Amino acid sequence: MMREVVYDVFTRKDRGDQLVHIGYIDAFDDETARVYAWKTYDEEKWFEMCVVERTAIIPVNRDEGVFANARRADV
Amino acid sequence: MTEPLNVDALDETSRVALERLILTLADSKRLMGIRYSDWTIGAPSIETGIAASSMAQDEWGHARLLYSMFKGLGKDPVPMEHDRQASEYASVAALDEEMADWAAVVAAMVLVDGGISSVLRSFAGGAFEPARTRVWKMLAEEEFHASLGAAWYKRLAAAGGEAKGLLTAATHSMLPTMVAWVGADDAGSRALVDAGVLEDRELRLAAFADRVGEFTKLVDVDLDSVGASADWDEIRGRTTGQPNDEAIERARGDRNRALFVE
Repeated sequence: MMREVVYDVFTRKDRGDQLVHIGYIDAFDDETARVYAWKTYDEEKWFEMCVVERTAIIPVNRDEGVFANARRADV
Repeated sequence: MTEPLNVDALDETSRVALERLILTLADSKRLMGIRYSDWTIGAPSIETGIAASSMAQDEWGHARLLYSMFKGLGKDPVPMEHDRQASEYASVAALDEEMADWAAVVAAMVLVDGGISSVLRSFAGGAFEPARTRVWKMLAEEEFHASLGAAWYKRLAAAGGEAKGLLTAATHSMLPTMVAWVGADDAGSRALVDAGVLEDRELRLAAFADRVGEFTKLVDVDLDSVGASADWDEIRGRTTGQPNDEAIERARGDRNRALFVE
């Protein structure tokens, strides 16, 4: 059984823009996450796009919400 | 860098072979797009369906660019795209029928889309100027297809059981005709090599093996042991057979083309 995990997608439209969280995708590894993100969020000609597995995001000031929940579920 | 090809100076054999090469690449792209589009709905996840949809668009865009190369050869690409019968299509045989299951789509991503890209790479590095300028962007877009195919192929092979069985069957089914097509060695293919349009047969097959060999090993298929299909159609530059009529009706846009006002 393939286990898919959530990856969050960040982009900047132009050089110098701030990196912005634009959404998420489900994927079974980093490689498929790259492709799914690029193909799903293709409404702009992005200068940069990157993905990060949600469980790798460390909440700083909240112990609830999607990022904290993802880390708890991964334990 | 190879000197640019003077198409006006080509002899008849080389000119016909060049047209045949462009057509087999363009038709293969069009059929690849149709096969991907079949999985926009029904792929294993929403993300995969979106990727299939996007790849179908890529393939159709690539096909359009390749058909447009006929303008530079003094031929109108519109009849090529819309007026031919299935028996005239030169697309690779592995795309003749719809993909029976997701494992077959994955095999096609790696072996067929990958094989087409390996020949396109040779074409882009050759002497035909429109290929030099237009094909590299296609190949950049194809990197995402290759990534997706690689990830899924590895995953299905590692899963074992039915998934690996279906992947193995699709690999066995697709490889002989792809090896024949990538390694074409008839008079037309040799004329293109002599004209500097393509690399020679051994280099093309080596590039194909570099690209797909690591994957076929995962399903216990040694690429060196795969024989090329012998039933070669020298007119179309592909193995014998033809795409199913339903796919060609879609490729031509038969159903709604009467509504199209140019």
